[in-house]
Amino acid sequence: MKRIPVSRCASQLLAQPLPRRPSCPYATAKTTRRSITPHNHRIQARFQSTAAIQHDGELEVELPEAAGIASTPSSRSASRGPRAAYLKPLPLEQLPSPHPSAAERSTKLHALRSRLSLPPRFPLQALARTLVHPSADPNPAFNNASLSILGRHLLGYYTSEWLLCNYPRLPMPVVFAAVEAYIGPKALATVAGEWGIEAAAEPGGEVDSGLLQFKRLKSGDELPAALRRQAPWKWNVTTTHKIMTTDEFGSSNAPPSPHALQKTPVPMEEAAQSFVRALIGALHVHLGSPLVKRFFRDHFLSRHLDISTLFDFRTPTRDLSRLCAREGFEGPVARLVSETGRLSRHPVFVVGVYSGKDKLGEGAGSSLDEARTRAAAAALKAWYLYKPVEVTVPSSMEGELDTSKWRPNLIDCGEVIV
Amino acid sequence: MSTCKSLLRICLRPQQPSLLPRVHCRHESTTRRHQKLLALPEAPSYTSDRSAPTLIFNPPSSAPNVYHTPLKFLPKDDKRRQLYAAAQRYATTTAHRRQTSPVAMPGTPLSAPSFLPPRPSASLPAPLRQPYEKRYHLTAQEIEEIRQLRLSDPDKWTRVRLAEKFGCSQFFVGMIVKVPEKAEKVSAEHEAARRKWGQRRRTAREDRERRKVLWGRDA
Repeated sequence: MKRIPVSRCASQLLAQPLPRRPSCPYATAKTTRRSITPHNHRIQARFQSTAAIQHDGELEVELPEAAGIASTPSSRSASRGPRAAYLKPLPLEQLPSPHPSAAERSTKLHALRSRLSLPPRFPLQALARTLVHPSADPNPAFNNASLSILGRHLLGYYTSEWLLCNYPRLPMPVVFAAVEAYIGPKALATVAGEWGIEAAAEPGGEVDSGLLQFKRLKSGDELPAALRRQAPWKWNVTTTHKIMTTDEFGSSNAPPSPHALQKTPVPMEEAAQSFVRALIGALHVHLGSPLVKRFFRDHFLSRHLDISTLFDFRTPTRDLSRLCAREGFEGPVARLVSETGRLSRHPVFVVGVYSGKDKLGEGAGSSLDEARTRAAAAALKAWYLYKPVEVTVPSSMEGELDTSKWRPNLIDCGEVIV
Repeated sequence: MSTCKSLLRICLRPQQPSLLPRVHCRHESTTRRHQKLLALPEAPSYTSDRSAPTLIFNPPSSAPNVYHTPLKFLPKDDKRRQLYAAAQRYATTTAHRRQTSPVAMPGTPLSAPSFLPPRPSASLPAPLRQPYEKRYHLTAQEIEEIRQLRLSDPDKWTRVRLAEKFGCSQFFVGMIVKVPEKAEKVSAEHEAARRKWGQRRRTAREDRERRKVLWGRDA
């Protein structure tokens, strides 16, 4: 399909192409075929064209002859009327992002697809599109904004359902923190880095499609206003409100919409997370949800997160006695299990919290109070981190005819409120 | 024979060492103090009661993993309840068959091996504070009296004195009657005392507060 870029093409449309001195005769021969993309970022920088024009409908794209696509007339350009005829074809350098037809020729994309173990029926054009951030290409038909919105909701759904089914007693703040640790912006940027995603120095039509295309935020510059805007959802934010209306991280500020980031320079993290989300969305669209679920399990749930480190108790002893009263256990009693060096400079006390004859938790500390508090915190963690033996997440029954494997999940009455 | 004697000697040592400087007094031979006295009996988990070769599994004691839910916290229909009950029964029979070595008495680190559920014994470790029953013994008139006394002269009738007089906790006195002026005065006094602190004391106190916050976080 021939593409018509919108409003990114330069006013130098009718000007001569910029003189470029080839480094060797072989390169001259190559440039005539236009099948190579310049990797030198100095060359790329020379071909940046940022002046926008208003009448953008009548642009023709110069396409590589090797691909054989240039001969096939596009329906979109045909519908644009006869004014297209007198315009010169647009050089690749003036496209905001690589042409979809270049995806088949990109070795990086082939390598990425096989590195992620994606089946060959997943089109490389879709993979190339997920790598184009809206800051590089404002046209929503060619950037990954819509796919990243879809992928973000899928990721949020799969992660939170897995957490809620596997740890049914987790308090809501811990659930939010765990979701952020699994699929938060930082985690997604790390995942993209581990997949070997490299960023283009500057987005453009001549860049390899396998590179992440986004407009870089120069070092030392301030964040753009769209990312800096701290718009609270509401002034009175309760936990219920966080669950019902905010995003999956329970954040206090609304994140910027991907569509709002057109032409704003963004940091690498923002572009990388939008790529990972868009990839999930594209997988869902092209391959269906069973494969997305497997992909999610392999690449996200396989990451180790110690949820017990996410807790922060302020009054663990009081919470524990409240919990025991609520559940009808005997009141917790701290007992000294063992000690050493009581009169020395570094004593160690090991205190266990008992309810009746059962030990609920154990903690060590350099004072009796510290050991007692730590033991109570350990007991609370043991309560909250309960994990059922067999778990079936609701999404595993999607589209299943045989629902006999379904086991109802435990639903807890909630965290301890003092 | 010698082991028994040395053990006796260990057990008969005074529990609380005196705070007086230790005076060198020689009434034992050096060999005895350095060699024979240190020959303690082996830990019970290392001594097998059979002559046949056995497997010894004795990991260092460590705090239990918080991901292992205690029996009491499991829901009614969890499968692990039966498993825990079976393990407990096995441990009971084993414990009753074997005699506990004196080095593994309750109150010593060896009494609770980390890899087995605790041995069922009547003697739980000693509590840090004596557990007490809550007495709801104050009537409405007494509470009104506490309130009156506290408001009439907060300097004379402090929380401590009222708690002693009525046999309740200071926290309860603070709960039923609040004197903001007195609280302000006391906190101003504390602030003035804190202002006199030097650099080292201030740093030490602040660090202590910071460490205290970590108790509930990294346990």
